[in-house]
Amino acid sequence: MGGNKTSLERLEHALIVSTLLLMVAVTVQPVLHLVAISLSEPARVPGMSGLRVWPEGLSLDVWRLLLTHPQVQAGLLNSLFITVVGTALNVTTTALMAWGLSRPRLPGRRTILVFVLATIIFEPGLIPDYFVMRELGLLNTYSSVILYKMVNAWYLIILIRFFEEVPSELLEAAELDGANPFQTFFKVVLPLMLPALATITLFYLVYHWNEFLRPMIFLTDPDMHPLQVVLRKFVIEGDKSAIVGIANMLNYEEASQISTRSLNAGMIIFTMLPILAVYPLILKYFTKGAMSGALKG
Amino acid sequence: MSEMQGKSTPNSAVAGNDPTANGDLSSHIFVVVPPSRMDRIRPWLPYYVMLAPGILYFVVFHYYPIYFAKLAFEDFRIFGDNPWVGFKHFETLFDSPAFSQVLYNTIVISTLKIVFVFPVPILIALLINEVRFLQLRRFIQSAIYLPHFLSWVVIAGIFIAALSPSSGVVNEVRGWLGLEPHGFMTDAGSIRWVVVFSEMWRSAGWDSLIYFAAIMAIDPQLYDAAEMDGANRWQKIWHVTLPNIAPTIAALFILHVGVFMNAGFDQIINLQNDAIRDQIDIIDTYVYRIGLQSGQFSLATAAGLFKGVIGMTLIVAAHFASKRLTGKGIW
Repeated sequence: MGGNKTSLERLEHALIVSTLLLMVAVTVQPVLHLVAISLSEPARVPGMSGLRVWPEGLSLDVWRLLLTHPQVQAGLLNSLFITVVGTALNVTTTALMAWGLSRPRLPGRRTILVFVLATIIFEPGLIPDYFVMRELGLLNTYSSVILYKMVNAWYLIILIRFFEEVPSELLEAAELDGANPFQTFFKVVLPLMLPALATITLFYLVYHWNEFLRPMIFLTDPDMHPLQVVLRKFVIEGDKSAIVGIANMLNYEEASQISTRSLNAGMIIFTMLPILAVYPLILKYFTKGAMSGALKG
Repeated sequence: MSEMQGKSTPNSAVAGNDPTANGDLSSHIFVVVPPSRMDRIRPWLPYYVMLAPGILYFVVFHYYPIYFAKLAFEDFRIFGDNPWVGFKHFETLFDSPAFSQVLYNTIVISTLKIVFVFPVPILIALLINEVRFLQLRRFIQSAIYLPHFLSWVVIAGIFIAALSPSSGVVNEVRGWLGLEPHGFMTDAGSIRWVVVFSEMWRSAGWDSLIYFAAIMAIDPQLYDAAEMDGANRWQKIWHVTLPNIAPTIAALFILHVGVFMNAGFDQIINLQNDAIRDQIDIIDTYVYRIGLQSGQFSLATAAGLFKGVIGMTLIVAAHFASKRLTGKGIW
């Protein structure tokens, strides 16, 4: 009877694990398949099974082509610029604001919090946002996409909660040493709050890297488009000119065989590479943030 | 005066030293209002300087747009002033079959997502909690969280490839079962399910984390007691785990209802194509198309404002419902 029970439990466990591993497969296989396609010999891609997760032959033609494509190169530089400058500005502004608002006795604290939270509750919509950019002369400038979500109200709240934990003894000690509030903030608070800052830095990094909609709307000059918008042109809008343009640049034989399928696969993987690169950090910090119950990503 | 200031610094721990903490302001209020107010504020000036860039941002990019919501009540002119037309554009919207369809799609897609996507992360969290090997558990979690961090452009690209009638993995599997290839992305009957499933693919794994955290917080003694009573795995899930994570489920359910009007702009704009546009066109994609692509700014603003007002009502209602039910609001 007892032995029976354990074997039943083992069977149940095996079934549960199998179900979860099936989910893992459904999640990971389509990504691995695109990696495999992008690394396959272009001529062998048309007959390739959709299940295949390793390349047919091995060729870097697709990658060589992508990395020399002017639109992709420009997209990469634009994405890097917007993400780095944008995130730096996001984190600085959010941290300064969060520190002020985390001081419980700041006069007007409640009013300012209500003022910020109200923006979560009511959004006037896409067109008014667009008209603000237009009115400020920011359309078709990098500033539009950098400033658009400069402070995320949810991330601000998370950071306020972290900052409220700073022990007041440390702050008093700094004050007795003659530090002004700015010195206290930069030399005492920030070093103590590095994990919290890392968390919201990652939030903003992922946001900027993945954002395509506002750049698509605010930046009319295609040369300013970040990688996500270029990817959208290739894959979603199926812009043939993006691909036809390539034919003229090719100066090696196999490249003429490269199909849209290979090119799209490579482009999708290329666009998600930075996310994969920081994924270990994401797992470390996002998980902690979500576990503390502070956010609903 | 200087002595007074020294004591009233923002970080002094003793409340008595801080004039702002003085509960009995009434005795001073008539005598020295302007100076005492300045004294109260002065030590905080550096903090207001820190707040300034953020506040400026909210004023310019969140409050200034409200002014442009007036476009909904005007006829937009490229040259000259816009004439005021009252609710004309709202009447046009409610009379137009296109907007009815878009409103209907928003409701249908949000409902489908709540019914079919919302329960999945709960299920995943329950299953993950049953996995006995820590390394295996970590591996599963790391894999299924990933799609949450990919952009909808990337995810749409992945789905277009996987659902391709000629080379996609899904139709290959259908082939084994003797089924004909099916163009899921271009079929009016299946595109809403593509929306539902791609949402699940992206968010179910990551969303399970919050339930998993709630399960981890359950007192292990409750399981021990259930075991002593002879409860098996499923009975423990039913009688111990689920009742204990019910408040988390309720809170998240309310939150989902609160953002009901957001049926998935970023997602749908990437899954849409000419063949199935009408099946999954939602308010947001409609606003984008008629406003920014066709230049009907006033009509588009009206549609966006309508969504904003309904959305505001829902999220405020959700906040108070959540506060009443779980003791914790949304903000």
